[in-house]
Amino acid sequence: MTQSATLEPPLLALDGLGKRFGSLQALEGVSLGVRAGTVQCLLGENGAGKSTLCNLIFGVYEPSAGHMTFGGAPWAPASPAVALERGIAMVHQHFSLVPRMTVVENLMLGQVKGMLHRHEFGARIRDIAERFGFALDPDAVVGELSVGERQRAEIVKCLMRDPRLLVLDEPTAVLPPGEIGALLDICRRVADSGRAVILVTHKLAEIARVADRVAVLRGGRLVADEGMAGADMSTLVHAMVGREVKPLDVALAEPDGPAAGQPATGDAGGPRRFALVCDGLSVKDRHGAVRLDNLTLEIRPGEIVGLAGVEGNGQSELGMVLAGLLRPTEGRFYMGDVELTHAGAAAVTAAGGGIVPEDRHAVACVTAMSVAENMYLNKLGRFTRFGLLQRRALNAAAQAQMRTFDVRAASPEVAFSGLSGGNQQKAVLARELTLDPLVALVAAQPTRGLDVSAVEAVYRQIRAAARRGVGVLLISSELDELIAVADRIAVLYRGRLVGERPAEPAERAAIGALMSGQVVSGQSVSGHAA
Amino acid sequence: MTTTAILLALPDRRRWVGMAVPFIAVAGALAIGLVLIAASGKSVPDAIEAFLDGAFGTAFAVGASINRAVALSLVGLGFILAFRANLTNVGGEGQIAIGGIVATAIGLWPPIADLPLGLAVVLPLLGGTLGGALWGGIAGVMKVRFGTNEVISTLLLGFIALLLVYWCVQSTALLRQPQTSSATLPESLPIAESVKLPGLTGSPESPLHIGLVICLLLAVATAVVLQRSTFGLRLRAIGLNELAARRAGMPGGILLVVALALAGGFGGLAGAIMLQGEQYYLKTGFSSGYGFDGLVVGLLSRGSAVGVLAGALFFGFLRSGGISMEIMAGVPAALTLVIQGLIVIAVAGSVILVERLERGGR
Repeated sequence: MTQSATLEPPLLALDGLGKRFGSLQALEGVSLGVRAGTVQCLLGENGAGKSTLCNLIFGVYEPSAGHMTFGGAPWAPASPAVALERGIAMVHQHFSLVPRMTVVENLMLGQVKGMLHRHEFGARIRDIAERFGFALDPDAVVGELSVGERQRAEIVKCLMRDPRLLVLDEPTAVLPPGEIGALLDICRRVADSGRAVILVTHKLAEIARVADRVAVLRGGRLVADEGMAGADMSTLVHAMVGREVKPLDVALAEPDGPAAGQPATGDAGGPRRFALVCDGLSVKDRHGAVRLDNLTLEIRPGEIVGLAGVEGNGQSELGMVLAGLLRPTEGRFYMGDVELTHAGAAAVTAAGGGIVPEDRHAVACVTAMSVAENMYLNKLGRFTRFGLLQRRALNAAAQAQMRTFDVRAASPEVAFSGLSGGNQQKAVLARELTLDPLVALVAAQPTRGLDVSAVEAVYRQIRAAARRGVGVLLISSELDELIAVADRIAVLYRGRLVGERPAEPAERAAIGALMSGQVVSGQSVSGHAA
Repeated sequence: MTTTAILLALPDRRRWVGMAVPFIAVAGALAIGLVLIAASGKSVPDAIEAFLDGAFGTAFAVGASINRAVALSLVGLGFILAFRANLTNVGGEGQIAIGGIVATAIGLWPPIADLPLGLAVVLPLLGGTLGGALWGGIAGVMKVRFGTNEVISTLLLGFIALLLVYWCVQSTALLRQPQTSSATLPESLPIAESVKLPGLTGSPESPLHIGLVICLLLAVATAVVLQRSTFGLRLRAIGLNELAARRAGMPGGILLVVALALAGGFGGLAGAIMLQGEQYYLKTGFSSGYGFDGLVVGLLSRGSAVGVLAGALFFGFLRSGGISMEIMAGVPAALTLVIQGLIVIAVAGSVILVERLERGGR
């Protein structure tokens, strides 16, 4: 099909497309053709202009230069509604579904006028899902579905409009590893049905699996556009980051990176036995369902323990408990020698617990405040004299720290929301790693949504902290990253620790099996016998 | 023509437009007001004369208008402090009432009048402030402990406070003056001369009192707290993202309670100043309208202390002029309120318009 596609004109053609926001040139001179029946991957680091490009195509923004054609006619949709009407649908990273309503109710919103025919509509949902090779229960309540199922509901919502082009903005960023394959298969089938698919991603493995063509954006410009047949992975990575990047494992396993922040000086009182101890932690939610079940874990100073598991198996609850924002129903936890079970977030910080929360925007930062204010949100007292904030000192300190941790922003005074995801995460990490003393670090999904070079930077800092004697609990659903970074990996399944394995590539299959709830023979709840 | 074109081409012409728009809007609202007065069959020139006379005509009129503005400013300053933490205090009315009650109670306490060093003036003021702070703090505690929305709780606490005033002046066991005949009004005794706020001008003609100085000092303090202090930044962080602020170790609950207590304290102080500055005795309805006008002043100021002062002055003069229009030109009080409403809409609308203009630039 790729051969025939090259003969006909592209379904969507971009010609010299540019977009400027104030003084920021987000996109410049992008020319690209997307053919029907193909999957076009769009690759790029955070802030490379991928989302801007999608938003131009989908009519969210108006281009400031260049023009587009769609199906041979000029394409200048005034709004997403118009784009949808005329054959382009987009699945956003953040879903627009009402959690308390069923799938069919959600999908009827905005598509049905007058009388509601649930059953007919439900049947149509089933049909479409089946046609593209997956199952979706129209009567399930959205709030009870997994992330992957919600995403499929979003995709069906788009496909119901029978679009000729489907745009997916980083659809795999939110998915657990096991569900990514299924999504890519759906993309393939959508393309095979004669539609065009634009798939935005920064994960290279996905491109190899599903793309027909791949385009790479860097700094708002198109730096590569080639057929998958001729593409070479390392060339693509090079094009994406503009420099040579070693394979992740190598980069992460490297013993010594540049110095990371100031050394923690607080632990002069001899080596501690444990940096972080969880003793029988249990959490029940409002409905009495057990979210975390008798979790016991001990982390020594300098040790990095990975906590693997498909998302939604209690990681969020554990993260909130250790951050001091959620009281466990049972059990206790300690950092250093201090019990913090009911002490609250401020005490966790004071005891030397660095927290990199899973939900960056909701928990880690105040996006409307400045970079400097966010980087010192937990240490504002240091810059206070007679109750007044010494802004100049604060900004100077932040400037220095931004250099140390490679946080790229125009100045410490710009709004935090203006930073790319990677830079935001580096700033949060900087704030937590410079606690004094720093005893333990709990990092939950610290690399979610980050590009390759930011992932590398985050793990370099985490490793450096561990070398200084900090005990690290790394909660992640990225198994490859855990294997590369952690010393040992515990697996969380339905709120229980179901096993523990050494962090070795050879253990991948065994850990994967534990993550999916299969008990490895003779190895059930082993705890930390090793 | 060309000059206009050049002026309009200037890069910061939007700022000029932004500054002009609210004035044009207010002028428009006043014009509509005059049309309404004419439509109600009253003489427009008479009404204007009465308005100007009542607002600016005499030293007394100006002083009374400024005293009004002082009370409105205080409520408005408290409002913007709490609003920084994303809390909407609509209980100004009740906080004024509590401040008035406490100031009266302390002011009527016999030994107080003989205290040296101005303590006779200061103690009732402090008492009123603390009373208001307590009243606002209750709403804060309810929010932190039970998740009660502060809009609801401050409003309802306001109603309770108004009824407390009623109770206080109805019962001789509380603050009602001794009943000597059936004609004794349900009011408290007047406070002693030494408890009254000292005048500013020394002339008996002007009611202007030291409350103005207190108000200006507090406006400066509020501006510093909001813009320069760590506390102000913490309030902002809590208001923007409570979870992140708590994660960063800020005492979320305490900050919320303090923010509402501060707002209440400002309201209570306004009540005490009204009582010790002009009213001199407690009666029902003495806080009428001040709490809500102060709320509007706070809302329209968009978080700026200077904005609060400007808005309060405007409303203070408008109120005085309106009362005079009613008495001298027979313009119904309701019509003054209509004009006031029109002005609020005009100012709020022009703010939105100006923001559009600012964002509209490519």
